[in-house]
Amino acid sequence: MTEKRDIATRMAGNQKQASISEFFEKNKHFLGFDSLHRSLITAVKEAVDNALDACEEARILPDIRIEIRKADPRRDIIELEVEDNGPGIPRDSIAKVFGQLLFGSRFHAIRQSRGQQGIGITGVVMYSQLTTGKPTHVRSKIASETTAVEMDLGLDTKSNKAIKSKEQRVPWVLEDGTEKVSGLNVQCRMKAKFQRGKQSVWQYLRMTSIVNPHASITFVDPDGERTHWPRVTERLPRKVSAIKPHPHGIELGQLNRLAKATKAANLSIFLKTDFSGVPGRAVKEMCEVSGLVDAKGQPLKSRPGRLDPEQIRALAETFQGIRGYLRPYRLDHRGSRIYVANARRPGNPTAPIANAKHGDLLDALTGASIDDLVGIVTARTDMHWEESLTELVGAVGSAHGDGPWNKQAADAISKHLRKAWDPRIVFEAVKLLKPPIDCLSPIEELLIKKGLSKTIDSRFVTTLTRAPAVSTGNPFQIEVGLIFGEGMAADSAVEVLRFANRVPLMYQQGGCMLTKAIESVDWRQYGLDQPGGNGVPKGPAAILVHLASTNVQFTSEAKEAVADNEEVREEARKAMLELGRGLRKHLEKKKKLAKTQEKFELITDILPAIAEKSAAILDREVPALAGSITRIMNAVIAQEETAWDKESKRTTVEISLRNYTAKARSYTLLANWPQREGAVMVDNEHGGRAEMTGVWAWKLETLKPGESATITFALDGLEKGDWTETDVFYRGAGDVIGASKMDDALLAELRRQEDIITGEPQEEEEEAMADEPEGPEVPAEDSPAPPVDEGGGTPAPSGPKQTLFDYTEGEA
Amino acid sequence: MTDRTHSPEETKAALHDVVVEMYDRIVKGEPPTMTLPVRTKNNITFNKRLGVYKYGKSTSVRDATSLRSAKQLLRALHVVEFIEEMIDAGKSSTLREMYYISEGWGHGKFGSQNESNNLAEDLEVVTKCLREDFKLRPEEDGARIIGNITLQERNRRGEWMRINARDDVGDSGYGVPYNVESEKLELIEHDVDFIMAIETGGMFDRLIENGFDEDHRCALVHLKGQPARSTRRIMKRMSEEWDLPVVVFADCDPWSYRIHASIAYGAIKTAHISEYLATPTATYLGITADDIVAYDLPSDDLSKKDIEALNAELTDPRFQDPWWQEQINMMLELGKKAEQQSLAKYGLDFVTDTYLPEKLAELGLA
Repeated sequence: MTEKRDIATRMAGNQKQASISEFFEKNKHFLGFDSLHRSLITAVKEAVDNALDACEEARILPDIRIEIRKADPRRDIIELEVEDNGPGIPRDSIAKVFGQLLFGSRFHAIRQSRGQQGIGITGVVMYSQLTTGKPTHVRSKIASETTAVEMDLGLDTKSNKAIKSKEQRVPWVLEDGTEKVSGLNVQCRMKAKFQRGKQSVWQYLRMTSIVNPHASITFVDPDGERTHWPRVTERLPRKVSAIKPHPHGIELGQLNRLAKATKAANLSIFLKTDFSGVPGRAVKEMCEVSGLVDAKGQPLKSRPGRLDPEQIRALAETFQGIRGYLRPYRLDHRGSRIYVANARRPGNPTAPIANAKHGDLLDALTGASIDDLVGIVTARTDMHWEESLTELVGAVGSAHGDGPWNKQAADAISKHLRKAWDPRIVFEAVKLLKPPIDCLSPIEELLIKKGLSKTIDSRFVTTLTRAPAVSTGNPFQIEVGLIFGEGMAADSAVEVLRFANRVPLMYQQGGCMLTKAIESVDWRQYGLDQPGGNGVPKGPAAILVHLASTNVQFTSEAKEAVADNEEVREEARKAMLELGRGLRKHLEKKKKLAKTQEKFELITDILPAIAEKSAAILDREVPALAGSITRIMNAVIAQEETAWDKESKRTTVEISLRNYTAKARSYTLLANWPQREGAVMVDNEHGGRAEMTGVWAWKLETLKPGESATITFALDGLEKGDWTETDVFYRGAGDVIGASKMDDALLAELRRQEDIITGEPQEEEEEAMADEPEGPEVPAEDSPAPPVDEGGGTPAPSGPKQTLFDYTEGEA
Repeated sequence: MTDRTHSPEETKAALHDVVVEMYDRIVKGEPPTMTLPVRTKNNITFNKRLGVYKYGKSTSVRDATSLRSAKQLLRALHVVEFIEEMIDAGKSSTLREMYYISEGWGHGKFGSQNESNNLAEDLEVVTKCLREDFKLRPEEDGARIIGNITLQERNRRGEWMRINARDDVGDSGYGVPYNVESEKLELIEHDVDFIMAIETGGMFDRLIENGFDEDHRCALVHLKGQPARSTRRIMKRMSEEWDLPVVVFADCDPWSYRIHASIAYGAIKTAHISEYLATPTATYLGITADDIVAYDLPSDDLSKKDIEALNAELTDPRFQDPWWQEQINMMLELGKKAEQQSLAKYGLDFVTDTYLPEKLAELGLA
């Protein structure tokens, strides 16, 4: 955001001395027009981003066609045409949208949007005009009008305004003879080069289609070759709302501007209404910490605009957490913190706490309890506690003489300090609420899965959307995906697909934090090759990382590499570890499956052949095999088949269990299912019960040797490819091949994964700052799962967990 | 050596025992099995009476609880059936032919030629029959011999043909057939003092060109690397029937040591027939590790595999002799190995004029 604003400021300033075209010329490297090859990608990017954003706002499922033609191959002149089915632009706004740099609302609202990157479509208009002298042709139709409007647009580079020409009204008839409801068609001619490869229009569109599974994208390249990335979901991304700025992300200059511009009558109202995440309690605290209080300790009543520079600076420091409270505390024998009563003082982490003079200490000592004394001593962070003690004892001595009280007190304090008391002090910034997170629009696991599966043909896909988090006042969310299997090169580095706010990042992979997050994982333990345990791993895989944030920080104005941020990187790393675990599980499962299949081959093909052949050679009867089979398998085997039924549009799951042992066995079978993703379990004739969200359990009849049981059910409400593999678990004695034993550890792991998806429970921060000393902390209630009774009792169902992001229905 | 082979009935009965073991286990409701001696260096022991290394008492049970072993059992049954068919039809086939025939055995098909060779040996070991009993021939060709010895070989028309391995042969020498038993080959007479087995063809040809066999009154045998059974068998017969000493002239590397061990003490893979194949009196002439130093021979560094092989030999029962331990340790210390041809450093005649006479003198054969 700030970078954007910097450009705006610079441009506004520049306009006086230099023409806007000169500015463009000077800054084309970070506007994305530095090479002929990149200019074309940038132009496509601007047009496609606009189309996607417009469709999203208008709740239309996007249909986008991009065509590139060679207008004059000898002079590298290319014609670009982009057409969408978006809402179109009303006639009177067209000139503004295409003709004015930085037009639009996104520079002022804080929310996740694609357009954070790039200069906008105006840059394309300008580039075309500068390189070929040709205007950009625009045709737009909005649904409420019967005809489309067409016009040519150029730029008056002196006034930063569009020049319209050849405007006319035309009917917009589609190839099939019907009239287009709404949409936009942009054609421009520019000096540019078309290339193929890793950094190309094709790759950009491919990556765009992965993270926009709701879009249908068609690309026709200069050779007439057509690529179509189909829409794989009808669900539109969630509508995002704008949020107010959160204090943590605000700098001094920005605060100054906000204070000057606010309509709030006083400081308290300003803090409470102009920012997000500031509860009433925090308003008072922020004022206190910033020294913006009157004699009674109440917030100043002055207008925010009237604050002097020092006061604004103090407030900004409080915003950024440089100012806060110093709270002495001690540790009890269990290591829990016990805060010292009434000892909290405003301060910052580096400055010593209130430079109490001897007199203050003595005043405090009068009638103080030993606990209070210790509190006062330990609040003196400017010296070691032992020195404090000496000083204190000295002070007390000079006030009262070396009486017995002194000696006692000194001994007692000393004893406590040395043994039980661990004097510490903690700095605490004013606690704020997290900013709201509905300003983010993650793609969501299932959709990433579909997006990845459609552009990469492979076997195994795992995806994960982490719960939203906040870094310096900016909400962000990490999403990752991993695809593994045949069809990809096994001996080269995995393909890294980076995205920021659904926009593909195609350059500067090595310098990008998202790449570093991938590199920080030891992939060897998860089944990928990684020489030396660092760097991008090798193997037949692709890794996707998507950072959704209201403020993506880039390493440079080229906006191709995400700048390092410890919190974001750590989130991304954790997500990678989760992916890794998923991959390892998959590989282990595959191995187990192969083993089971071997056993089956053994008893169904080889053993009968041995029996027949040996009988034939010896000229005897073919012996019965049941006994040998039991001895060879000596296991209970579970088999699972998850399939898509075209007729009913349901996913069917069949799980069978066969007892190949010599003893009767009794089990409860469990299976996971995509409950959270909105699936409904139907045709479940075996009944059973919910074990937890997304895990169902069936108690089976006892299986005698050789017997088998089969459970079938179907899943409604999913699309094809949503659910392709069902994990099977069991409870009961004796191993089951093809299923995992459901024990406490596994249950805990499943719950943990659920927490990752639903987000850690939000801290109750409103209440936490009571000034009373907190009692010894009781270990947080972890509420372990209620023990499940094998007999089939009814376990307390874990309440319905809600997904943080619901997709609104797309108007199909 | 006529007691070596078995009648068709004996062979079939022995093979049936293998099948019965599998069949009976299935009838008992157990996984079928095949019991066979462990065929590793840990299970070969010196047989004092025979003077060679034989398999010890360790046996392993191949049971059908894994797909791999189960397939092995099925293959064994197919091989048994195939052998019976050949015995009944009076045919024979090469091991390689059997490998290709196994294409039609469905799940009993061999994955590689090595598998089929190993299985044939497994059956030999279990039944104590020989592959000649099984009507299976090796693909490997036998050695070449040059020297003043005379033998008689039965040709395809069943006639005995008398051959002198110096006068009746070309430069390639007398080619040893795969069957060298008395029904096929007879040793007639000789005029040599010893037999020299040579590892490489290059050195074999060098000695012939230099007329070493005539100058030193010996028969030269080209081993062609790890010697085939027939090569070891014919050397054993010449050594026993004519009472001739055998010396081995090989490269100086761990693999040459093993070649010598298979000639003199018996090979691990064929320890069930060591008494027929091994020549306990054979002596290792060179190149020894101390020759590298003594003759200052051009040498190569030992590879990782070489070092592993040498270390394995240190614990091989056949190399427990102090002299071998010293040679192996010396090679490890030097970290070097040398080829026979490295003697050419001193000229083409050095090997015949200097090196071999000196080495033979040490053994009292010069």
